[in-house]
Amino acid sequence: MRIALEIGESLNIARSAIVANKGRGTLTALGIIIGIVAVITTMTAANGLENTFKQSFSSIGADVLYVSRTPWVNMGDFMQFRNRRNISLADTQGLSDALQGRGVVNPAINTRINLKYESKTMETVNVVGTTDKQIIVSSITPETGRFLMPFDIKYKKNVAVIGSNVAEVLFGSVDPIDKKMKIGRYSYRVIGIMEEQGGSTFGGPNFDRRVYVPISTFIKTFGDRGGRANFELAIKAPSHEELEDFEFEVIGEMRKVRKLGPTEEDDFAVNKLDTLMGAYNSVMGVVMLIGLLITGIALFVGGVGVMNIMFVSVTERTHEIGIRKAIGARRRSIMMQFLFESSIICLIGGVIGIILASLLTLVINALLMPASLSPTILLIAVIVSILVGVLSGIVPAWRGARLDPIEALRYE
Amino acid sequence: MTSRANGLETSHNGLALHLENVVKTYEMGTEQVHALSGVSLDIGQNEYVAIMGPSGSGKSTLMNMIGCLDVPTSGSYSLEGEPVDDMDDDQLADIRNRKIGFIFQTFNLIPRSNVFHNVVLPLIYGGVGKTERTRLAEEAIEKVGLTSRMHHKPSELSGGQRQRVAIARALVFSPSIILADEPTGNLDSKTGSEIMAILDKLHAGGHTIILVTHEDDIADHAERIIFLRDGLIESDVRKHDQHGQSVSHSGRPASNL
Repeated sequence: MRIALEIGESLNIARSAIVANKGRGTLTALGIIIGIVAVITTMTAANGLENTFKQSFSSIGADVLYVSRTPWVNMGDFMQFRNRRNISLADTQGLSDALQGRGVVNPAINTRINLKYESKTMETVNVVGTTDKQIIVSSITPETGRFLMPFDIKYKKNVAVIGSNVAEVLFGSVDPIDKKMKIGRYSYRVIGIMEEQGGSTFGGPNFDRRVYVPISTFIKTFGDRGGRANFELAIKAPSHEELEDFEFEVIGEMRKVRKLGPTEEDDFAVNKLDTLMGAYNSVMGVVMLIGLLITGIALFVGGVGVMNIMFVSVTERTHEIGIRKAIGARRRSIMMQFLFESSIICLIGGVIGIILASLLTLVINALLMPASLSPTILLIAVIVSILVGVLSGIVPAWRGARLDPIEALRYE
Repeated sequence: MTSRANGLETSHNGLALHLENVVKTYEMGTEQVHALSGVSLDIGQNEYVAIMGPSGSGKSTLMNMIGCLDVPTSGSYSLEGEPVDDMDDDQLADIRNRKIGFIFQTFNLIPRSNVFHNVVLPLIYGGVGKTERTRLAEEAIEKVGLTSRMHHKPSELSGGQRQRVAIARALVFSPSIILADEPTGNLDSKTGSEIMAILDKLHAGGHTIILVTHEDDIADHAERIIFLRDGLIESDVRKHDQHGQSVSHSGRPASNL
């Protein structure tokens, strides 16, 4: 009963103190507002980057293994992979046979080359020679027209499926379907346009700036260096759960296909989305930590501002503290009065900060990347602002609570 | 609380407070200042006592001691038989809350709170329930005749009215002692006598009242005058009628108020 009354009275005092010093409170809260906006925006930006990253790799597929000569993510010395044999079309056939239909194997080869349609050109576009199985291993589908079909590969047709960005830049308002475009020196007929993948803002691979052609046509027109051109194999596992076991199986079969002795190391690499995500997460973790550290400083400075004002508040109210102590206020009553004051200031700052950060998130979303404010971030922001309030109020409040009533009463 | 409130009228012979050989020493830099150098004093319930003395005589220290705002360096002090000299800050706060009613020269009201809130505040700190504390506060405000000013801020009141609010706050918890430190010091003589009339009435109603004052005519309201000098009781005189014995005040510096 008594503590409830003391809390009520302390809240009451804190409220009237804040109302009485609106200007000062606003300036103090500003520090917290800036801090909270900075912290939330950092977290939102990190969340946005992650979304962008996931989006740009969404066509990779979580249950697909990619066998290539070199690993995708290589933090060490690149030179160690230099002398590896290329992965040939024969290897593809060998692996496909060995897996006996357990996984869908799709070989792909790519090159960067200029595109031309009438007077417009696009430079160094990623042209991928692939098969009809491409749409099985990656989660992409054509938006208009069709993808490559088995007979396109069988008859080495000069047909191309273009990415949305290519359609936009090269063809503009013209409908690209059935138009002839030049890939390098060769003429191809556009048969389909892929769905937009998006999310390549930050230098990730741009899946929209791509052209898919039949692998057979690719080899015919661009050559396969006497059967030794380097292919990358995409193998869709029977299910995501079996991915790990399947990876060992693929490695084993691939070693047989490549005729490696038991003591030899793998001369190929198996990549998957997890590898990329892992590398991304470890980099982003550090970036986010540094970001939070820097923005945390803003919040800390805001907290110091609150503490400063709380010292002023305690000094101003010294006489009042004396009166309250004389008529029976305990230390905790006085403490609570100031802790509530600092916490409320910080909470108000936090809430305003959250509102501003939400608006900022909308702007980021519209202009930069698909960022969103999660309820967790909001909850953290609220807790952090209250925590800053309590922490910055505790020393001034303790100083007020410990005042000698006689001295305090004498203070004018 | 109610038991003491009921007992207030009848227990005239009980002791309100008991000081034994109370010494208070302050450190002023390297020097030790003896504010009280051994004061022994008994004040019974429903006594009306004035404590007088020149500046530096130790009367403020004695008042702070009696009001449990301060604790003795040595000696003992008990309030209604309960020793208070070993209590910590919060225990002393509780004693002040329930057993002491302060009336200060400068009123010491909370400026942003209205009359009702100022008066009810000790009951809030004492944890009294809402209906009970509202009743007690309204009763106390009525006793000092400020019911019509219940929702006014101190700044909207005259000096006399402010002091009456302070009196209402002092008596709202039916304290053992009402401790008035120069209660008329900041008031004109007409308002001053109105305030003294209220104190007289409270005494007649069974309250123990201790006045600290410079002024003879204020001290004259009391039945017993204790005169302090140099931290010791110089004289302790009980009057049996208003114009009986009086204490020699020669050598006392003129009031600086």
